[in-house]
Amino acid sequence: MKRTGFPLLVASSLLLATLASSATRPHYGGTLHAAVQAAPSSLDPNQPDHFGSRNIFGLIFDTLVVLDDQGRPEPALAASWQAEPGDQRWQFSLRHGVSFQDGTPLTADSVATSLRAVNPSWKVLAAGDTVVIERDAPAPDLPAELALPRNGIVKRESGKTAGTGPFVMSQWEPAKRLTLVARDDYWGGRPFLGSIDIVMGQSLRDQMIAFDLGRAQLIEVAPEQARRAATEGRRIEGSAPAELIALVFARPPQSAEEAKLREALSLSIDRGLLNTVVLQNGGEPAGGLLPNWMTGYGFLFPVEVNMTRAQQERAEVPKAVLWGLDYDRNDALERVLAERIMLSARDAGLRVQLASGASADAKLVRVPLAASDAHIALGEIAKSLGLPQPVFHSSAVDDLYVAESTLLHSQRVIPLLHLRTAWAVSNTVKNWSEGHDGSWRLVNTWLTTERP
Amino acid sequence: MRFRGKLLAVFALTVFVSVAAVAWIISSLARRSFEKINAERTAALVAQFRRDFARQGEEIERRVDAISSGDTALRMGLTLSHGAPDYGTYLNEAKTLADNQQLDFLEFVDSQGTIISSAQWPAKFGYKDASFPGESAPKKAFLKREELPDGAALGVFATGEVRLGDKPLFVIGGRRLDKNFLASLELPAGMRAMFYQNLEGGFSPRLLIDSSGRTQAADPITPLIEEIRRQPRETTRLVHWSSNAADDETIDGIPLTGLDQQLLGILLVADSRQPYVELRQHIRSAALLSGSAGVLLAILLSGWAASRVTRPVEQLAQAARQVAAGDWSAQVAVTSSDELGELAESFNRMTRELIEQRERLVQAERVAAWRELARRLAHELKNPLFPLQLTVENLLRARQQSPEQFEEIFQESSATLLAEIANLKTIISRFSEFSRMPQPHFQPVQVNELVQNVARLFQAQLHAGDRARIECKLELAEAMEPVAADTELLHRALSNLVLNAMDAMPQGGVLSLRTRQEEGRACIEVSDTGVGLTPEECERVFTPYYTSKTHGTGLGLAIVQSVISDHGGRISVRSEAGRGTTFMVELPCNADKLPAAGEGGSSSGSTT
Repeated sequence: MKRTGFPLLVASSLLLATLASSATRPHYGGTLHAAVQAAPSSLDPNQPDHFGSRNIFGLIFDTLVVLDDQGRPEPALAASWQAEPGDQRWQFSLRHGVSFQDGTPLTADSVATSLRAVNPSWKVLAAGDTVVIERDAPAPDLPAELALPRNGIVKRESGKTAGTGPFVMSQWEPAKRLTLVARDDYWGGRPFLGSIDIVMGQSLRDQMIAFDLGRAQLIEVAPEQARRAATEGRRIEGSAPAELIALVFARPPQSAEEAKLREALSLSIDRGLLNTVVLQNGGEPAGGLLPNWMTGYGFLFPVEVNMTRAQQERAEVPKAVLWGLDYDRNDALERVLAERIMLSARDAGLRVQLASGASADAKLVRVPLAASDAHIALGEIAKSLGLPQPVFHSSAVDDLYVAESTLLHSQRVIPLLHLRTAWAVSNTVKNWSEGHDGSWRLVNTWLTTERP
Repeated sequence: MRFRGKLLAVFALTVFVSVAAVAWIISSLARRSFEKINAERTAALVAQFRRDFARQGEEIERRVDAISSGDTALRMGLTLSHGAPDYGTYLNEAKTLADNQQLDFLEFVDSQGTIISSAQWPAKFGYKDASFPGESAPKKAFLKREELPDGAALGVFATGEVRLGDKPLFVIGGRRLDKNFLASLELPAGMRAMFYQNLEGGFSPRLLIDSSGRTQAADPITPLIEEIRRQPRETTRLVHWSSNAADDETIDGIPLTGLDQQLLGILLVADSRQPYVELRQHIRSAALLSGSAGVLLAILLSGWAASRVTRPVEQLAQAARQVAAGDWSAQVAVTSSDELGELAESFNRMTRELIEQRERLVQAERVAAWRELARRLAHELKNPLFPLQLTVENLLRARQQSPEQFEEIFQESSATLLAEIANLKTIISRFSEFSRMPQPHFQPVQVNELVQNVARLFQAQLHAGDRARIECKLELAEAMEPVAADTELLHRALSNLVLNAMDAMPQGGVLSLRTRQEEGRACIEVSDTGVGLTPEECERVFTPYYTSKTHGTGLGLAIVQSVISDHGGRISVRSEAGRGTTFMVELPCNADKLPAAGEGGSSSGSTT
């Protein structure tokens, strides 16, 4: 009994250890099934609606530079870079041994061609293994700008695109389905996932059904639904606040009285209540345009409701104009927010009614943060909201604060909330990670064989 | 209008009036019947609406009860009993449950009316529902105004209650009273339902909807809605949507009130009058057709009736005209034994009696004429005979005288006898002349010229010194057409009238001769200013041998009348006592009595 018991014990121990290590040890192969709302009609990152598709493009295309969670640039296709004094001329040295998915090597010419196609105003030159970029004005944030998905390096031939990313397109049904296969020759090392199957154009409800049925292992979850989804036992992964919801007026205030009324409206909105009740803590109250994690000074912008002061501001104006408030009729979250804003405004003595189209004076908008870099993100927000482009004299935080404050003081925009990006991830997905901006990082993710 | 035309008009009018009366009666009956049916249909629809309303209410009550007894309400009630609920937890609960139960409205509120979760306005959590009826909420469904983000709406509501502690949870669910509700009403053909949501202070056309959505043209219906808004009671109006009567509708407005009896909506049940208009058009078409046929039939009937009724009348009229023209022998055929037959028989009898009376009169006149003639002859002959008798007696006595004396007496007596015999001859010739009055020989005669000749002829006698002076005045019309007449006879007749006038004015006076043209006839007037004639004399003045004078044969005016009558004319007398007498002669133109060209060559120059 003793002679047979020990080997059994050893064998059992080895089996358990093997099983345990299989769950934690990286595992090559397998297909990750994902579903997204975005439905790009082409695989070119240079397209207007690239925010929703950036995770897809990030799997196929690399950029010269990537940003870490603190928004600092790190080498990617560019092994190093340096700027000449004045930050107008930058020189990027390319990484060696990088090839496109069609096997052709990455060259300075192909990089220059790709960047020139996206940024016609830039002067991009190829010089050996280096790419020189000359800007008309000082561009201290050029590396961060090059980290934007739209600046992914693309080889465009005969209407087809090829990148240097970790995955290569295997099957493509525009706006419907995309199947990607891991590249063995990826310069950063072969991904653990064997392939990724992405179903596009799926509503959040359909994604959740597919997830619960086990047909998808990675889906998007609305931030206001994340808490409930987690309560119901799903694995929810969330990013830092990476999307802004704001109330944007179509025009600047026409008088001091209107500016006062806009101030009263901002004061009457209980952002905290919106976050806790409507968003189910799926975000943060926003006093500024950029989230606090990005700038560090976000707390300086007040978010507390002050109905008394709002009523006082309103009382100082003889007659309140009637504002028409527009929102995306297909967005349930925006609808609730708009209706709540209308109630708050009514409590403050303001006149707000729901409107649509050209008759609206203000509109609820959702703007994803384009980058982890605050300067880039603020510029993209201003661009998306139709506000004047912020002017930065340096990359210092003070300069950023002044620029953001200037935008807020224009009273064209009232920030409301910063939303997190949430994903429901199957338990079979291991080593999941995402950027602060909600971008996927699937290179080091693998799948286990256990059933979800 | 002739009798036949009148008969046709009476027939046509009778038929037309009859058809019109029948059409009007049928149309009136149809209208009353239609309105009665309309009222019954409207009442049925209203009853159906109330049943549907009640059924919808019961359905809503069941669904609200199901929600009230569900897990969500239970959890919410438990949470509420432990304190303030987490609004975020229940933010979408009401919406989800409302969708599941197919409700348009659903709210969970606490005893204070604070909204915990709202389906129709999810963002309203934490606010108080101003229209929450509270503990006094009725168990049955009721109509309520509900505030929504984009305005207000009306709905049928029911309430439920979850009481797990001392803090009850109320469930208020309902369905919107909108076009879908109207569409759910099973309306008979030709009827439709509209609904006015009384959500604003004044009338607003956009609040008037029908089962297909917004009602575009609300103007015609506005007065009805305004009236019910002022005084909420069931009211019916005839509404004209266009100039086409087929578009008219009878609309019954039924006020719908809420818990506080405030007017919340007006159900408008419209019944098309198109079937009635079509029926009325059919009646009119049928009436027009039958009326036309009736008028045609009236024409045929009047023609037939004319042959049966008016022909005897026309024959009577023709016979009467013959009698009036002097043909008293006219007779009509008696074709029936009815009143017309009796009339014809009477007419025939009348003409026969007229002829008999005329013959008797002629006979009497003839006797009287002979008597008058005898009297006149006796008188005329007696005057010469008496001297003859005396002369012969004187001769007989003279034989006893001396021959010389006898010779002298004989000579004287012979002269006397011859004179008296001559006188007798004259008398006899006059009578002979009257009996031999010649027939006129027609020639064209200028009347004015003839009158002037007569006046000229008597000019010397009028101014004779042995009698009082008579002035002759000629008043002749300028444009006198020639007449066909016998110049000699007419001259003689006028001369007699002038002589008669001169005899009437022994003391002198004025003799007037006038001519004038009158409707194709030539008129000649001879007037004197004598003492005039009595009416009796006027009647007998043309009778032969009648005279009012102490001398004369009484044949002058009879000869004048005979001459005028032979010319187809007529003579009349007008006299006024003390002012004189006027004889009026009317002569036809007698163009047809002129000899044809070449026949009358011998008459030239006969107008003298």
